[in-house]
Amino acid sequence: MPQSIFDDSEGMLAMLRDSVATLASRQPGAASVRQKRAAGADMDKVLWTAMAQAGWTGILIPEDLGGAGLSLTEQAVVSEALGRALISEPVATGAVFASILLARADASVERGRLVAGLVDGSLILAPAWKDGIGRSVSARAADGGYMLSGEKRHVDLAVSATDFLVVAALDGGFGLFSVPAKGVGLSVETAHGVDGAAIGTVRFDQCWLPQAALLARASSEAELLDAAITSARVALAAELAGIASRAVEITIDYTKARVQFGKPIASFQVVQHRLVDMWSDAEFACAAVVNAVETLADGDAQAGRMAVLAAKARAGDAAVSICRRAVHLHGAMGFTDECDIGLYLKRAISLNATLGQPEDLRLEFVNLERAA
Amino acid sequence: MTSATDWNALADEAFREAFRDLVERRLPSELRFIRKQRPLFDEVSVWYHALAEEGWLAPVWPVEHGGMGLTPAKHMIYVEEWGRLGCPRIPDHGLGLIGPLLLEHGTDEQKAYYLPRILTGEHVWCQGYSEPNSGSDLASLRTAAVRDGDAFVVNGQKIWTTLAHCANWIFALVRTSRDEKVRQKGITVLLIDMTTPGVRVRPIANLRGETDFCEVFFDDVRVPVANVVGQIDQGWDVAKSVLGHERIFLGATTRPEIAIERLEKLARARGAFEDPAFRSRYARHRLDLYDLGSAFERFAKVLRDGGELGADVSMLKIFTTELYQRITEETLTLAGEDARYFDDIEAGNDQVDAMNLFLDSRAPAIFGGSNEIQKNILAKAVLRLPS
Ligand SMILES: Cc1cc2nc3c(=O)[nH]c(=O)nc-3n(C[C@H](O)[C@H](O)[C@H](O)COP(=O)(O)OP(=O)(O)OC[C@H]3O[C@@H](n4cnc5c(N)ncnc54)[C@H](O)[C@@H]3O)c2cc1C
Repeated sequence: MPQSIFDDSEGMLAMLRDSVATLASRQPGAASVRQKRAAGADMDKVLWTAMAQAGWTGILIPEDLGGAGLSLTEQAVVSEALGRALISEPVATGAVFASILLARADASVERGRLVAGLVDGSLILAPAWKDGIGRSVSARAADGGYMLSGEKRHVDLAVSATDFLVVAALDGGFGLFSVPAKGVGLSVETAHGVDGAAIGTVRFDQCWLPQAALLARASSEAELLDAAITSARVALAAELAGIASRAVEITIDYTKARVQFGKPIASFQVVQHRLVDMWSDAEFACAAVVNAVETLADGDAQAGRMAVLAAKARAGDAAVSICRRAVHLHGAMGFTDECDIGLYLKRAISLNATLGQPEDLRLEFVNLERAA
Repeated sequence: MTSATDWNALADEAFREAFRDLVERRLPSELRFIRKQRPLFDEVSVWYHALAEEGWLAPVWPVEHGGMGLTPAKHMIYVEEWGRLGCPRIPDHGLGLIGPLLLEHGTDEQKAYYLPRILTGEHVWCQGYSEPNSGSDLASLRTAAVRDGDAFVVNGQKIWTTLAHCANWIFALVRTSRDEKVRQKGITVLLIDMTTPGVRVRPIANLRGETDFCEVFFDDVRVPVANVVGQIDQGWDVAKSVLGHERIFLGATTRPEIAIERLEKLARARGAFEDPAFRSRYARHRLDLYDLGSAFERFAKVLRDGGELGADVSMLKIFTTELYQRITEETLTLAGEDARYFDDIEAGNDQVDAMNLFLDSRAPAIFGGSNEIQKNILAKAVLRLPS
């Protein structure tokens, strides 16, 4: 059924897909989501550790820094497979986003420590880049280091984090800071995320950091963040495409097995047409992901950005709307918490809302195109 | 106390005023505009009993049975005000379904026994139609009732039974015989005391994490034959006749109205009305709702003129349930990254239950006959399309 089709002459991508499926068979995603939700947790430590051991937290980290040195192709394949399996760990932010931030930071002992911990799973890094409304985070020089104040929202892994990667205004420009979770002046508040994971709001109240905490600086926020956002969006799009594809399969299976009026409900033409629409939407999502990865690799920055915007929008819309229709085709069963299809819907909504909803991404695409 | 005939004689505005006055006096403010779609009996019993004391609990029941005897026209005002004033839903299967069923098909003894107990709240009812293998295809139901002297012995299972965990009576469709050609035959309406040995209820959590519906199991449950409503084996027609003019309410504007109020609140708080792209999307929803009002009115007029509703009224149900979904989806779009929250989200100094409503909006397109089933009916009964 639908899947992102990349050139895989060596069979390496198929192997990656298989290893995600193997992990999922040992630790089913849906069960993990339910546990996480019941515990009010923001991650599944067992799953994350297993993923780190498999090398999936450092896919995009260059080899000379101790990572796998692979490309967005491999990342997309892993993310798509995780989406299919409903393994809902915050890979796009906690691994991909963090990897790119660190890979582009200045070489330093602190960066070395963070990268090593991300790759082997001993550190949990939580990128925090989105400012609270009217409470943006800023840093100023103080006592031979920096003092941070302000608030970041929508932070994944905020409870489990050992270290935060925080973007803060600094001297008219911006800095990327490494902030230990146990630091004085840092506090975390959480709310329930729809996908079962807790989402953090992180407050910095006169939080002092040593000089070495400054990992990178740039004149604009975009310069610090754009590359990380782009890669994370590709990972999100791939995960959404995986969710979309799997939701179609689950629904085909369900409607073939569910008998009403003496026939499988999948035999009714209305249901068939709807399933065809869903399948086609998932195929479009997968094609968009492949296009994003390949266009980025071609090196034309503008074309790459546009392709990523398109893919994230397409895959997000596809995943959410496929899952909505999937829930409906499950009848009352789809409205229960026990049925996994609802978890797919919720995960799709959450990822779709991360790093830009389709409406915004499409506008950005058109604005870029028309500015060119 | 005003007698019921007077309610119908009252000018519409005066009737509205009387209802508002009642709400002001008797509905505790903490029960107004509550988030829960389906409160349990105990959570809203104050309101239930207050309505009973004031004689406002059963708007369409005849006066001699303790109802208000309202005409459909006045009943529509009642329902409208109920929603507008934020009255909480009360467990209403007794008032809205079993009451009318007994009034039409019940014996005098049944009416005398059950109706007053609904009004006092002693009996709280739930509706046992759907089964695990009989949803859209209700006529395939299999819960078996086998005659044993002056009782039926019931075995089987119902599912999706709303509020079964706070009900003590269930009106169930059971199979008393089998006719291979006409599956609707051999179905009987049975009133079952849920405290009878052999009845077991298991609540089922829904997408919103609430438990509104349940599974109900019957294991050798003895039910007196006197608890049959109408004729044995003729329950299908009994069950189908029940909704009558109330089918119009399946198409009411209430749900999308609630949803658009939330959308507007969030849009105001975020300045979205300044954004032309949002305004244009909002305008579509707003006019969908406005036009639903017009279409509703077209059917309401039929009722006010003393006519009866046809199958075509189902078009309202399809439209309103889909509009409810579209508006709640729009609210999540507007919420941006906040659409990741399960919890209510900030809208200025207020909160909006964006996810709660989005998830809730999945259900009405399924229950009460899914939208596909409604369309099948419209295709056949209204457009007379060939098989
Ligand atoms: C919130 C909620 C509360 C409920 N409360 C009650 C209650 O109190 N008492 C009670 O008895 N029941 C209750 N129900 C059950 C409800 O009546 C059934 O869910 C409904 O009849 C659909 O049946 P099903 O869920 O088995 O879905 P299915 O019949 O399995 O349908 C699954 C999907 O297939 C589609 N489909 C089925 N047949 C066709 C066809 N011929 N052509 C095209 N598409 C088709 C449906 O539209 C649906 O999308 C409740 C349901 C919900 C969601």
